[in-house]
Amino acid sequence: MPPETALSKRPRVVIGVIGDDIHIVGNRIMQLALEESGCRVFNLRTRNRPEHFVQAALEVNAHAVFVSSLNGEGEHWCADFRRRFQDAQLGHVLLYVGGNVVVGSRPEPEVVTLFKSYGFDRVYHQRPDIGAAIVDLFQDLEHGAPVT
Amino acid sequence: MARPSPEARLRAVDRQRQQVLSHPLAQGLSPDEVARHLASLPARRFPSVRYAERERGVPMLQPRGGTPIFEEQLRLTRMLSDAGADFVPLTIDSCTRHNQYDTASQLLRRSEEEGKAYLNGYPLVCHGHELTRQLYVGLDKPVSLRHGTPDARLLIEIAIASGIAEIEGGGLCYSLPYSEGFPVDRALLYWQYVDRVCALYSTPERPIHRESFGPLSATLVPPVVVIVIELVELLLAAEQGVLSFAVSFGQTGSFIQDVATAQVMRKLARELLDEHGFQAMQVRLVYHQWMGQFPMQRERAAALIAGSALVAGVIDADKVVIKTVDEALGVPRPEVNAEAVDTVRYVLRTFGTPPSVDSPAIQAEAALIESEVRTVMAAIFGLSGDAFWESVYRAFQMGWIDLPFSPHADNANKLVSMRDANRSIRIVDPGSMPIAPHDLVAERALLATRSDSSEKTYRRMLSDIALMV
Repeated sequence: MPPETALSKRPRVVIGVIGDDIHIVGNRIMQLALEESGCRVFNLRTRNRPEHFVQAALEVNAHAVFVSSLNGEGEHWCADFRRRFQDAQLGHVLLYVGGNVVVGSRPEPEVVTLFKSYGFDRVYHQRPDIGAAIVDLFQDLEHGAPVT
Repeated sequence: MARPSPEARLRAVDRQRQQVLSHPLAQGLSPDEVARHLASLPARRFPSVRYAERERGVPMLQPRGGTPIFEEQLRLTRMLSDAGADFVPLTIDSCTRHNQYDTASQLLRRSEEEGKAYLNGYPLVCHGHELTRQLYVGLDKPVSLRHGTPDARLLIEIAIASGIAEIEGGGLCYSLPYSEGFPVDRALLYWQYVDRVCALYSTPERPIHRESFGPLSATLVPPVVVIVIELVELLLAAEQGVLSFAVSFGQTGSFIQDVATAQVMRKLARELLDEHGFQAMQVRLVYHQWMGQFPMQRERAAALIAGSALVAGVIDADKVVIKTVDEALGVPRPEVNAEAVDTVRYVLRTFGTPPSVDSPAIQAEAALIESEVRTVMAAIFGLSGDAFWESVYRAFQMGWIDLPFSPHADNANKLVSMRDANRSIRIVDPGSMPIAPHDLVAERALLATRSDSSEKTYRRMLSDIALMV
C-alpha cells in the first residue's frame, strides 16, 4: 500500500518493546520501516507490559501489533498474549513478535512453537532484517493470518 | 543569558547531603573519615597523577568489569590489574543504577547463595564502602566507577568512600542513553550535586576526577551532538569546582571522523574552559572502542579491537576503554577481559604512533564539525536562565540537543543521521538542532557520495548500524 493512501485506509500498527527492556534501536528502525511501507504507527516505545499493547490496540482500533524484546524478557511477559486480546474483544488483531525473544540460545523452531502457543501469528527470532515481517504483514492483512 | 560561571557553585549542599547520607546503606560513612582515607591512599590512585606519567601516543588502558559477588570482583580486579590495565573498572549493576537497592540486595543474596551472577554488575551501595575498600588494598592505580545512573548521589558517596577517585557520568550522558523517563532537569541538578561533592573531596594534588560518557546511544550519533554534550558537562563540572575531567567519545566507524572529532573536542574544551575562567581545570580525552553492534565471530571481534587500538594511538587519546572478543555474546569472563588488555597493549607497542596525522579530508571534516559545535554552543549560551544548567535543559527541551536512538521519552528524536561513502556520520535532517545552513549543505553534499541512495531509509540505516558486523 503506497504512503499516499488516505490516512484512514492505512493499516494501523501498534509497536513497542516489552518488559523492562530499554533497547530502543530496533524499535526506532521498526517505526521508520513500517511508516515507509505505508502504515500508521503507534509507538509505545520501551518498557511495556502486555496490557499496554491491549489498551493501545483498543484505543487506535489496530489491525496489528508488533511486540519486540531484545533482552529475552519476552518469554516471561508474552504468555497468554492472545487471551488478553480476546478478553478485550480484540481476538482478530494480528499479533507478531520479534527480536531476541528468549534468554540464552535455543533452536529457532522451539522458540517459534513456544510463542505460537502464546497466540502469536508470526514469530521472528534473531532475524537481521525486518523486511520479511513487513511483507508478511501486508499478506496477512489481505488474506488473514496463516493457520497453524 | 546564562554562561558557565564559578558563581553558579551550589551553596548549602550540606542539608541535602545529610539527607542523602541518612540512608541506612550509608551507615557509618563520615566525610571526615573519607577525606582521611583518600589522603592515605597511594598518589597513583588519582587519575590526574597517573595521566601526568603518560607517554605521548600511548593511551592508558581500561577494561570494563563488574560482577555481584565480592570474591569474584576481587578476582576480576586482580586479574585485570595483573594483565596490565592502567585503570581498574568497577561496573555497577542496573538495579543500583535505577536506585532499586532492595532488589539489588535480594539478587545479591541469591547470587551469593547459588554462586551464580543474578546482577550484571557490582551492587556497590549494598556492599558498602568498608567491604569495597578491601577490593583495592595495595593497588596503586586508579579505580573508575562505570554505571549509568541518573541519580548517583548516594552511589558516588559510597564510591569515593571506597577510595574510587574517578567518577563517570553526567546529567545528559547518563540519562538520555540509559533512562526512559527520569526527568532530565532533575538529572542535571543531581549531577551538579555530584560534581560539587567531588570538588569538596578534591585537593589540587589529589582531585577526584570526573569523566563524561561520550558514546551516548552509540548509534549514528553525529560528532556535533557528542561534542556539545561533552562540552556542556565539562563546563557544568567546572562550575562546581571539579579540577580534573575527561571528555570522551566512541569510535565513530570512520577514521577521518575519529581524528577530526578528537581534534575539535580537545581544542574547544580548552578554549571554553579558559574563556569562562576555569584555567585551573585539567582536561583529558578518552576514546571508547566500538560501542555498537559487535561481530559474533571472535576473530573479527579481535580484528576490530586491534584496529581501534591503533586509532586510539593515532589520536593520542589519554585513555582507551576497551572491548573483548566476547562483546557480542554477553558479559565476558575475567580471562577474556584480561586477554583484551593484552591485545590492545600489543598493538600499541608493536605499531608505535606518528606525531600527528593530517590530510585535507581530515581538515575539512574538523572544520565542519567545529563550525557546527560553535553554532550550537553559542545558541545554548544565548538562552535565558539563571544558571547554565537551566539553559542546557531548555536547549534539550527544544530539541537543540537531540540524541539519535535515545530511549528517553522527552528526547526530540527529530534528527536523522546516516553514513556517507567514507563511513562518516552525516546529518540528513537536523530536526530542531541549530545547524547553520552552509554546514547543512556541506553535510548533504558529503552524504550524496553514497551509492545506495535509492534504497529505503530504514534499510540504509540498518546497514549503517551493522557496520562492523
